[in-house]
Amino acid sequence: MSTSQAILAGWMEIPRSSVQDQARQRADEEEALAALVSQYAATLYRVAFSVLRNPADAEDAVQETFLRVLRHRDTLGEVRDNRVWLIRIVWNIVLDRKRRSKTRPETDDVAELARVLPAKGLSAEEITAAAQHHARVLACVDQLPAKERQVLMLSAFEELSSVEIAEVLSVTESSVRSRLFRARNRMAELLNHTRSLR
Amino acid sequence: MNPSPRNPFTPDSVSVYGPGTVEATLRLIATVPAPEGLEDRIQASLAAATRTARVLPWPVALRSDHGWIRAAAAAAIVFVVLGGGWGVYSRVQPGMQSGARVVPIRVASPASGFSSAGAMRTPQTLNGPIAPAPAVTTQAGSGAVKAQRKPVQKPAVPGKIVATDKAAAQTAIPAAK
Repeated sequence: MSTSQAILAGWMEIPRSSVQDQARQRADEEEALAALVSQYAATLYRVAFSVLRNPADAEDAVQETFLRVLRHRDTLGEVRDNRVWLIRIVWNIVLDRKRRSKTRPETDDVAELARVLPAKGLSAEEITAAAQHHARVLACVDQLPAKERQVLMLSAFEELSSVEIAEVLSVTESSVRSRLFRARNRMAELLNHTRSLR
Repeated sequence: MNPSPRNPFTPDSVSVYGPGTVEATLRLIATVPAPEGLEDRIQASLAAATRTARVLPWPVALRSDHGWIRAAAAAAIVFVVLGGGWGVYSRVQPGMQSGARVVPIRVASPASGFSSAGAMRTPQTLNGPIAPAPAVTTQAGSGAVKAQRKPVQKPAVPGKIVATDKAAAQTAIPAAK
């Protein structure tokens, strides 16, 4: 092999080990992503549904979350807590969607809630009455200030501690507690006001 | 405040608006079951996204350690590029005359803005026979000009017509024989 051939071959040569390493790394990342999907898809769906209150929109938000994770899969190894990280991503996505769809009329009506919420062992009339009650409560929740509403909704998830809620919202734990306290008081006022009107 | 370190929204926490209202509703929403096949759909969408973003793999037959195949491929690429460049260079001569064509002048469109519809302007300088100018016309014309320029003479005797022109005088007064 002449000198020029050797230079050309060396210039074009891609080290085989690096190609194999990249393929192995990509396969590992895909496996990790599949594991994240199977482990947290349901949780993320519930978080998305609590804000959007629409099954199709919630599923879209979960899909978008995992697509974002796929785009930033290189940083998967740096994430300390995958669950909180994923909830934070989906939370930002659903808030953004909710903000964009604010101009549209409210779609979460009583019939939709009655269809979606679980109601085992209840008659049709009881299901309708429960759905009306939930719709009233959710209407009161929607009247809360955004910060307090977000804390109140996230606190309904049993798997999230106050520390984790603080991480999702990028605030301190004491802020979470104070906002939750204010949210409860406001909700009491709103519900009493609603009850007095009836 | 809530003493529970796990979740501040425990059922036994002090609730000023009473348990079973907001808590129950939010917990109900927070425990909504995921739809059937959610994971499969997400895995499928991720697989589709991965497939579209994947780089074409190097052919299996060319994965061997034979460097001469790559060298030959590189030489072929260089040959094609250089050959194409030389072909273009050899066909295009720098001194070639431009093939500009003379486009006939179109008739100017009227002020209305309509197009000339392809009508060609007729040149005004045709090489045809030129009719000679009539000499008589020019002489008579010059005489007339002179007659016009000549001041009109007033009659010396009232009632007698005096010819203002020589020719007119000849026609007006018959020659005395």
